[in-house]
Amino acid sequence: MTQENPLQDPLRFHKKAPPCAVVIYGANGDLTKRKLMPALYRLAYEGRLAPGFAVIGVSRTPMSNDEFRSRMHDSVKSFLEASPFDEDLWASFAQGLTYIAGDVGDAESYTALASHIAEVTEARKTEGNVLFYLSTQPSQYAQIAEGLGAAGLNRGDGWRRIVIEKPFGHDLESAGVLNRRLQAVFNESEIYRIDHYLGKETVQNIMAFRFGNGIFEPLWDRTHIDHVQITAAESIGVEGRGAYYQEAGALRDMIQNHLLQVMATVAMEPPAYFDSDAVRDERAKLLRSVRIMRPDQVAANAVAGQYGPGRSGSELVPGFLSEKGVSPDSQTNTFAAVTFLIDNWRWSGVPFYIRTGKAMPKRVSEIAIQFKTAPLAMFRRATAGAEALPNVLILRIQPEEGISLKFVSKRPGSGMQLRPVSMDFNYGSSFGERSPSAYETLLLDAISGDATLYTRQDMVDASWKAVQPILDYWATQKFAFPNYDAGTWGPAAADEMLARWGHTWRKP
Amino acid sequence: MPDAKPSTIKPDKILKQLEDIWTAFTHPPEDGEAGDIGNDGILRACSMTLMSFVDDEEDAVALGETLSGLMREHPGRMIVVRLREGDDFLDARVFAQCWMPFGHRRQICCEQVEIISTMDRLADVAAIVGPLAVPDLPRLMVLRSARIVRAGALRKILRLADKIIVDSSMAGAPGFGELGGLLESGHIAGDLAWTRITEIRSLLAQLLEGSTPAAITLEYAGREAGPEARYLQAWLASALPDTRVALKGDGSVGAGNPVAVRVGDDLSVTLCGGGAEVKLGALSQRASFSHSSTEELLSIELGIVVHDQVFERALNRITA
Ligand SMILES: NC(=O)c1ccc[n+]([C@@H]2O[C@H](COP(=O)([O-])OP(=O)(O)OC[C@H]3O[C@@H](n4cnc5c(N)ncnc54)[C@H](OP(=O)(O)O)[C@@H]3O)[C@@H](O)[C@H]2O)c1
Repeated sequence: MTQENPLQDPLRFHKKAPPCAVVIYGANGDLTKRKLMPALYRLAYEGRLAPGFAVIGVSRTPMSNDEFRSRMHDSVKSFLEASPFDEDLWASFAQGLTYIAGDVGDAESYTALASHIAEVTEARKTEGNVLFYLSTQPSQYAQIAEGLGAAGLNRGDGWRRIVIEKPFGHDLESAGVLNRRLQAVFNESEIYRIDHYLGKETVQNIMAFRFGNGIFEPLWDRTHIDHVQITAAESIGVEGRGAYYQEAGALRDMIQNHLLQVMATVAMEPPAYFDSDAVRDERAKLLRSVRIMRPDQVAANAVAGQYGPGRSGSELVPGFLSEKGVSPDSQTNTFAAVTFLIDNWRWSGVPFYIRTGKAMPKRVSEIAIQFKTAPLAMFRRATAGAEALPNVLILRIQPEEGISLKFVSKRPGSGMQLRPVSMDFNYGSSFGERSPSAYETLLLDAISGDATLYTRQDMVDASWKAVQPILDYWATQKFAFPNYDAGTWGPAAADEMLARWGHTWRKP
Repeated sequence: MPDAKPSTIKPDKILKQLEDIWTAFTHPPEDGEAGDIGNDGILRACSMTLMSFVDDEEDAVALGETLSGLMREHPGRMIVVRLREGDDFLDARVFAQCWMPFGHRRQICCEQVEIISTMDRLADVAAIVGPLAVPDLPRLMVLRSARIVRAGALRKILRLADKIIVDSSMAGAPGFGELGGLLESGHIAGDLAWTRITEIRSLLAQLLEGSTPAAITLEYAGREAGPEARYLQAWLASALPDTRVALKGDGSVGAGNPVAVRVGDDLSVTLCGGGAEVKLGALSQRASFSHSSTEELLSIELGIVVHDQVFERALNRITA
């Protein structure tokens, strides 16, 4: 049991990382440049890292430490969002950056890494703590973990943790295989599966909103909520990443991981306390309650789409099939919409509609919770013939994080005329402080050993189980793609899916 | 602005004027001024009432800037009471401060009430300010001058606030004595001199994790230790009862601010230009401190409306 630091001041001090070395596999790649290094630098800038901190980059391209530092300098400078770049601080941070070339398939590279880590531990006073961050192709994850294990790098004087990026497998079976290989080397508590959606402030705010306020939770069930719509729309197409995307598709790329996690956060039971395992237990429990579709139910509850040419604003967008690296008869879904039902006491009979797509009219991610209408339509004439207008609570994730509540009010004047109005709360403008990027939050958490926002294997399994019947059924189909124009809200079949429940999609 | 004539001011009238401002914003006159407001109208935001008392000679422009900067993070009703020389004068005006967040289509607006009063009308001010505070939200008060704290009529006004914030490093500002008095009377107090040392404290907490050094020396620039150096010493001494925490001045003409912390031969932290240089054996590392302007420090204090036990322990140690 570690003793509590008497100098801690939780009311005022921000979370700080203990000394450690972060080993990045794939240090020459895009994610390192765009996200990881800017996030680490920003953590240094905020004073969140311990003086005993080091980064060790690994990939095949030979490079000296200085070359690596200079590349990282340029990347951080260009990809740092909403914060200044301080050359002096960089100079100090960069002293802790080193690079070692190695191929993940080469056993010797791990022994070389082991001695490099030993040197860095001594020189940088990192106390033997090591975080391995795998930012390579997912097919290499298991191989790297096994290589680290064979070289004895999974154990040491300090703690050892491994972070992997999505996708965690490409279906239920491969996810299981990957997991068994990872767990042969690292304990589950040492494996951090990153889902950057969970690192977003709004997703965390959903918990604060639900469980920090007394007034919403009593309404949060099938008695009061009619249905829930979760939308994650991109206005751009695949923009050159067609080859990668072709393998994944919208259902795997967004719904299986990010959006099911968001749904779990919206729908889970209140955890007994705000602790990594308590929160993740509730999320996992919710995901296990998702009704698994039979093959004959898929067509009515899941819609695949692929965009053809169209317009994004005034810009012409080529169809997915004309993207580089995409085969002309590709059956990849660039749009997916699914109706999920949750078989538990709270949510029985409440549909959760999830949709995501590329080349939609605008970039928006939101959760819309539509409440049941007032029991008596006493104002029917006042709403110009419309049925009673339902209250909708919208939790916006992007572009502007915030919360809106739509309700009905009477127009001023003598008649009884009603109109919907919106009450808005905007995180960005109500709290002027810069929100940390998802990667900052998640990296700091991993270094500090807080796994609350990371995905656990039972959650990965449960969400694969929920989408697997859809993947299986779609694999047997020949779709008449493209079936929606770029710049629209997806195929007509997605509207029909909701119409069967008497609902319509919101136009966010 | 009318001068000389003693006036009566009714809170109801001020509240009505505030409502009128909002109505004017939502229904702009026909002459096209709506363009100023932005396509999507305005968002009225309120998370607190912030009352500040300033001496009239204080730079009104600087205070205005600080307050409008604060409104972005802590939107609320700002009540500024400016005390001026002379007798029997009281006046008030209301206005809204608006800004358009970058990339947004909607302006955010907060209310500001300015009351100008002579010292002899402070009792009236208390009667006006009370009803103006927004119900159910925290009420914070910023006091810049010790003279105001000592004014007997202010007692009533102090009672209106959930938290009172001072900056004991400023000349003429309320000091440890006044702060101790506030704590004794049950107030939540905040001192920007304490806020200013948060980042160095946090750094020291990280560096000293798991160790109990025999001695720590705090060096300051000047002949007499200033409030920040004294807070730092009191904080370390109360958290580490087995450690000898010494204060050492360099005898210069400095204001007594901390410049370095030495722990044994192996660890030193030197404060320099918005950050610190940490020497841990052969390893040297720079840490940058991000919050230093009065606005940033105030913003931190406005976010804490509970008794801060660590601060109170340090303050009690100093005033004991
Ligand atoms: N990019 C993003 O924004 C993003 C977002 C979310 C998730 N992800 C995930 O993050 C991971 C990394 O993505 P990325 O876009 O950074 O990929 P990437 O640009 O392809 O980078 C991977 C790097 O790994 C190195 N590498 C490849 N084969 C190697 C080998 N055999 N041994 C050692 N190093 C090898 C390569 O550098 P060398 O050529 O020098 O070896 C390459 O630069 C992927 O799993 C991806 O799915 C990325």
